[in-house]
Parts: sequence; C-alpha cells; structure tokens
Amino acid sequence: MTITATFFLIAGLGLIAWVFARARAGRFIQSGVASVHSLPSYHGWYAAMWAVVPAILFLLVWSTIAPALGSYQVLESPLAAGLPTDAFERAAILSEARALSHNPDLKVFNDAAVKLAPLYAAADSKYAMIGALAAFLLCFAGGAFAFTRIRPDFRARTQVERTVMFGLLLASLIAILATLGIVASLIFETVRFFGMVSPFEFLFGLDWNPSDKVVDGQATGFGAVPLFWGTVFIGAIIAMLVAIPLGLMSAVYLTQYASANVRKWMKPILEILAGVPTVVYGYFAALTVAPALRSFAVSIGITDASSESALAAGLVMGVMIIPFVSSMADDSIAAVPGSMRDGSLAMGATKSETIKQVLIPAALPGVVGGVLLAVSRAIGETMIVVMAAGLAANLTANPFASVTTVTTQIVQLLTGDTDFDSPMTLAAFALGLTLFVVTLLLNIVALQIVKRYREAYD
Amino acid sequence: MTATPQASAPASRQTDWMGDAMQKRIARRYAAERRFKFLGLAAVALSSLFLAFLLVVMIGNGAKGFVTTEATLTIDLPAATGSISPDQLTEPRLAATMASIDVRRIFDQAVQAQYGDDGARYFASTAWTALRNQLVENPNLVMGKTSFWLPTSSDIDRAAKDRSTPEAERDYAALTKAGEVRQSFNMQFLTGSDGTDPARVGIWGALKGSLITMVVTLFLAFPVGVLAAVYLEEYAPKNRFTDLIEVSINNLAAVPSIIFGLLGLAVFLQFLSMPRSAALVGGLTLALMTMPVIVIAARNAIKAVPPSIREAAMGVGASPIQVVFHHVLPLAIPGIMTGTIIGMARALGETAPLLMIGMRAFTTTPPDGLTDPATVLPVQIFLWSDEVNRGFVEKTSAAIIVLLVFLLTMNAIAVYLRNRFETRW
Repeated sequence: MTITATFFLIAGLGLIAWVFARARAGRFIQSGVASVHSLPSYHGWYAAMWAVVPAILFLLVWSTIAPALGSYQVLESPLAAGLPTDAFERAAILSEARALSHNPDLKVFNDAAVKLAPLYAAADSKYAMIGALAAFLLCFAGGAFAFTRIRPDFRARTQVERTVMFGLLLASLIAILATLGIVASLIFETVRFFGMVSPFEFLFGLDWNPSDKVVDGQATGFGAVPLFWGTVFIGAIIAMLVAIPLGLMSAVYLTQYASANVRKWMKPILEILAGVPTVVYGYFAALTVAPALRSFAVSIGITDASSESALAAGLVMGVMIIPFVSSMADDSIAAVPGSMRDGSLAMGATKSETIKQVLIPAALPGVVGGVLLAVSRAIGETMIVVMAAGLAANLTANPFASVTTVTTQIVQLLTGDTDFDSPMTLAAFALGLTLFVVTLLLNIVALQIVKRYREAYD
Repeated sequence: MTATPQASAPASRQTDWMGDAMQKRIARRYAAERRFKFLGLAAVALSSLFLAFLLVVMIGNGAKGFVTTEATLTIDLPAATGSISPDQLTEPRLAATMASIDVRRIFDQAVQAQYGDDGARYFASTAWTALRNQLVENPNLVMGKTSFWLPTSSDIDRAAKDRSTPEAERDYAALTKAGEVRQSFNMQFLTGSDGTDPARVGIWGALKGSLITMVVTLFLAFPVGVLAAVYLEEYAPKNRFTDLIEVSINNLAAVPSIIFGLLGLAVFLQFLSMPRSAALVGGLTLALMTMPVIVIAARNAIKAVPPSIREAAMGVGASPIQVVFHHVLPLAIPGIMTGTIIGMARALGETAPLLMIGMRAFTTTPPDGLTDPATVLPVQIFLWSDEVNRGFVEKTSAAIIVLLVFLLTMNAIAVYLRNRFETRW
C-alpha cells in the first residue's frame, strides 16, 4: 500500500463521514427539533475533519520515520553483519539497496546492496502496511467520535470555523517560516564558511580563485571584490545606462504624448519584455548580441575583446529591466497632482518644458525608488550573466572584457556534486547571504523613499 | 533696490511677441518640444524593436528545429524477414517476433544494398528504431517491398538546412539529385526526450517535467497563498506579529530567485534529505517563490471587494467565516486567478533555483512521478545552449519557441480573465 493510495483512501473515507454526518444532522430538522444550532453541512464538515486531519497528520509523521525504522530492521538482520563499520560507506550501501528495492533495473556499485534489496523491500512494505493500518484506525476512530457528538444543540459551526481560522493563521505563518528558513540556512552555512576564510578576506580580498584545498583549516582564493565589482558593473551601471533612459522616456511618451490607442497597444508589448524568461534573454545575449559586439569591438580596434563581454550581458539585462523602470516611472508621474502640471501649462510652458521642469523633478523621489528596485532586481538576476558573462574574475572597467558576478559564481560553485564540507559549496552560501542582505537593504531604502514621496502629495 | 515702482513702471516695455528675437525663441522652444517627443517615441520604438528582433532571431533559428530531414530506404521485407505475416507484428506475438527478426540487421543490409558499403553515414544512428516503430504501427507493410522514410544523420540534416561539413554537403547534393531525400515535420521533437544526437532529441521529457513541477507548485502555492491573503486582509488583528507576517511576504516577493535555490538545496536536499533532481523538490522551491506573488494579488483582489458586501452579509446573520467564504472570495476569484496565472507563468520560466537543486538530470525518458530525476523546459534550454554541437542551436531556439508559446498563452488567458470577469465597483 503506497502512501499516495492511503492518502486518497482517507480522503474518500472523509467524504463518506461527511455524507453520513450531514444526513444524520439533517434528520434533526425533519423531526422538528426547535433549536438546531448548526446547519447539517457543518456537522458533515465536523465529522470529515475529525476523520481526515488526525489520520493525515499521522501519515506525514510516519512517512518521515518509517524509512529509519526500515533501515534499523535491515541492519538487525544477519545478512547485514558483513557490512563495513564505517558509517559513511554503510549509509551508501544502504541507500543503494533501498533504491534497488524500488527499481530492480538499477545498476549498483556495491554487490552487498543486491543482497540487502529484498530485505529492504520486505521491511519497507511491512512498515508501510503498519502505517496505513494505523492511519485507517485513526480515521475510523475520529469519524466515530465526531459522529457520536452530533446532537441538535451541538455547536458544529463554531468548531469548524475555529479550525478554519487556525488553518488561515497556519497558512500565513508559512511566509515567516520561509523567510526564517532562508535566513537560517544562509547564516548557518556562512558561519561555517567563515571558519575557513576570514570575513575580512572574503569581503575585501582581491583574489578570486576558489579551490577545495583546505590547509590548517584555512582556505585561500576567496576574495570576492572582483565579483562584487562585476555585479555592480553589469547590473547597476551598464544595465541602468540602458534601462533608465529608455524606460523613463517610454513612460513619459506613453503617458504624456501617445494617443489612447497607441497606449493600449504599446503597453502590453513592453510588458511582454518583462515576461520573457531570463534563460531566453541569456541565450539571445550569448548567441547574437555577444558575437556582434565582439566583432564591433574588433572593428574599432579593440583586439582583446572577449566574446563573453560585460557589455553584452549588461545591455540585454538593461532591456529586460525597461518595463520595470517604465512602470515605476509611470506610477510616480501619475502621482504628481494635476494642478502642478496645469499650472505650468497655463504659464505658457510647452509640454516638454512642463515634463522636464515640473513633472520629473516632482516625481523624482518615486523614480529614484523605482530605479533602486530595478538595481536590486538586476544584481540578483542569474541566467543572463551565467550564459553571457564570463567566469574570469577580472577587476576591470573595460566593457568589452569579461567579468564575473556573484550569481554566476554561485551557480558555478554549486554545479556538480555538492559536498557540504567543501569551502566552495559554503562560499556559495556566503555569496548568497551577501546578495540577500544587499537586495533587502536596497528594497527597504527604495520603499521608504517611495512611501515618503507618496505621503508628500497625499 | 534703489528704483522705485514709479520709476520702473514706465521703463518696462510691452513684450514684442511678433518681433524677430521672440519668434526665433519660440521656434527654438517648439523645436525642443519636437525633439523631446521624438526621443520618447524613439525609446518606445527601440524597446519594441528589440523584442521584435529577439522573436525574429528565435523563430528564424527555431523554425528549422521543427523540421527533420529524411532519406528513403527501400526494403524487400518478405525476403528480409522470411515472409512473416502482419498478425505476427500485433500484440501478443510482437515481442517474440521482434526477438526473432533482427530489425537492426535488416536495416543494415538494406542500407548496404541501396547506398553501398558506407551508406550508413547517411542515416542517424537510431534510424533503425524509426523503421521498427513504422513496422509496429503498420504491420501490413511486411507484405511487400516498401520505401521507408528514415531520419538522416545530423550532418546531412544540417546540410539540408544550413551549412555542414564538405562531405555531408556532397552527400546531400547526391541524395537530392536522386530524389532520395525530403524534409518533413519533426514529430520526434515534440514526443522525444533529451539525447546526444541533436537530430533526434525532443522536448517532451522536459515539458512533462515542467508540467509535474507546475502541478506541485500550484497545489502548494495556491491554497496557502489565498488562505494567507484572506487571513491578512480580513481577520488579522493589527499587531506586531501581523506586521512581521506582512514584512516577510513583501521581502519574499523581492528576494532574488537564486536565493530560493540555495534554500531548497540547504533545507530540502541537505536537511530533509529529499531526492535530488526530483520534480517534487522543484515544485516545493518554486511554490515558496510563487506564494508571495499570489498573496499580494489575492490581497488586492479581496481589498477591491466593497465593504457594503460584507456589511450586507453580516446584516443577515452570516458569521465572519461565512461572509468571507460565501461572499467576498467568490467575488475576488477573477483577480486571484489573474495573479495566480501570472505567478505560475513566472515559475514556468524560472531556471536558476532549479539548477541549484540539481534539476538538470540527463534523462532520455520522461519522468513518471514526483521523485524521478527530471528536468524542466527552461533548464533544458540552458543545457542545450551549452552543447558544442552546432545542431543544438536550432533545437534550443525551437524549445524557446515552445516555452514562449506557453508563457504568452498563459499571459493572454490572464489578461482575458481580467477584462472579462473583473468588476469595477
């Protein structure tokens, strides 16, 4: 009996409980009891809840402990006596044996696993059976308990609503859990990393040349400044040089000049730019933009131009950010009170003078906030830089040279086998924490600016 | 200020609007106006041109990925198989027949007979499986001498579409002259999985991986997102704890996607030891990423339902839960759906977090369950883009076209829902 099948059966039993409890409560009304507290369907929900929730909770817990129980039983058997005592090797053989018991065609490296596979199959099916039986017992017991409580004056609705409220609260707690999970996992691995590399060396070192080598508990080659520079160069400088003028001017044109018809068509088209997946931009940058830029650079006499230039990645990333900047600018221009604009026009200023000297200065805090949000998005962007920017950690301001970024290196460090004791894996988490903190600060600052600016005009 | 008002008043002249200097000034200002407007138009045009250029390049490259090149091979099947009957190629006896008539040998002999000793270079290394599939599909073919169209080698495929090695170009010219080659729609691309031969790879494996992952994401992110939104918007008391929840959700929405990959790696793979490369873990990771998007969209939709609806329901005696689940939520559903589809479209195009949790498995069969090693469409695009073989360029672009079609359809549905069902109160 698989866990999935058990889940479905319990859901079915819950449905049955619902039907019976509802029918029983329905008879109260037919028999003319004067004061029935809850509608019949609430009694149904009450019974279904009692039948399903404890059983499902039990199954969830059981599915996490059952594999361990199975392993324990296999290890107790005489066949397992010959296993190596080294915990790591033994775990490898056991996990192979378990995989083999699920999929007999699998190729295995340890012959011992072949012997253990049938044992595993037996143990796992035994514990799955026990779990399913216990779950059904809980299901029936819960359903029966609820069924006996159904009486005309039983407050089923209050009970059901209390549970629903609890469920709502639980759902909103998941956001906190996710945030805590991110912060905890990043900090935990980063602290371990800082045991091998000093934080000072990581944040201010100029040499990025990561390796697995650990000498006296210390690793070298983890100076991340070239990465930070590459990230800023591509995401905050080149991309913004493209995105700010184009995004701002598009917003100005679409809100101030374009006819309603043009606006109706052009806005969604610009929004498609934001909806194109980043892997597509990355491929486009690597396939088309980068070679074109390289031949352009060679033709104007820059012979050492790299085919993985910072410019290619930055340009394409800038295009991706255009709709973002444009919609933020759109919002802030729209928030400027109409009287300011009308006043300027009434004084005889042309439209462009009004925009340049009244609207944009008045909307500037909002635009700046939007640009900061755009920067935070650009520096966290991964696929474009992974595919179009290089891996060489250069500290250069030459846009035709190859630079690398924080996100590129995270992907690079975690590709292939990830061993959580290697400084390379841990370095990825340290880079991730840096990225997380910087984007968080940018967002907080940007939102503060936008909020204060909104208040100024409200 | 020494000049008195009486002294300055006669000194101020009437502005000569029609004068030369003034006219020139106005012309200059109008020219600046036109320049500014033109700049705005240029910005919009440049952005949309870039989009058009991107689409044209992808379609131009990718269209070839949907086409396959086939060469003809005539086989005298009764002679080659020892006159087996069509019903030997139908179900219960199929396996036994296939074991006895070596299709691969029949194929090799026919190629040698028709194209000479090294004729095998014309065909893909897996062409004989295509022959077997055609036989199984249409067993009556064994009754006579038949011409089969079988896939060519990827060198000749490239010669037909673009440029290839000189030998392949020569071979292709010879085949064309003899009328032994044709181009047809590449079904294999839509039904096959990853592989090493660019002419024979397909996207179904990756697409199925994407579908399974999206189902997991939807089933987790949608209920949690909507319930959290209901709680925050309708019931949450104003206190620091609620503020904490709000701050978490807004932060999660702004966290770079790759950080979610790190979370998945550290928590799901390392801490909870879930299987690597599995659609289940990918779905969980993407669900955490999509949930805040859904929460924010759902909160806006719920906020847009006017208080009068709640008050009316409350007035006829509905409990707070009934007010929300019977009245507010049904009215907010179109807005919630729109936000959910947009969030799902974003999750469908996401690559980086899935690379972190190892969803880059090379699998030549589509995944069958939640825990099978799988890959998804964007990751497949990334993997193919890294291949050295030039034949993968058209496949990568073709896969991009498929991905874009899915995303644009989802966005179009979202826009349609918004326009069709959303009520302005």
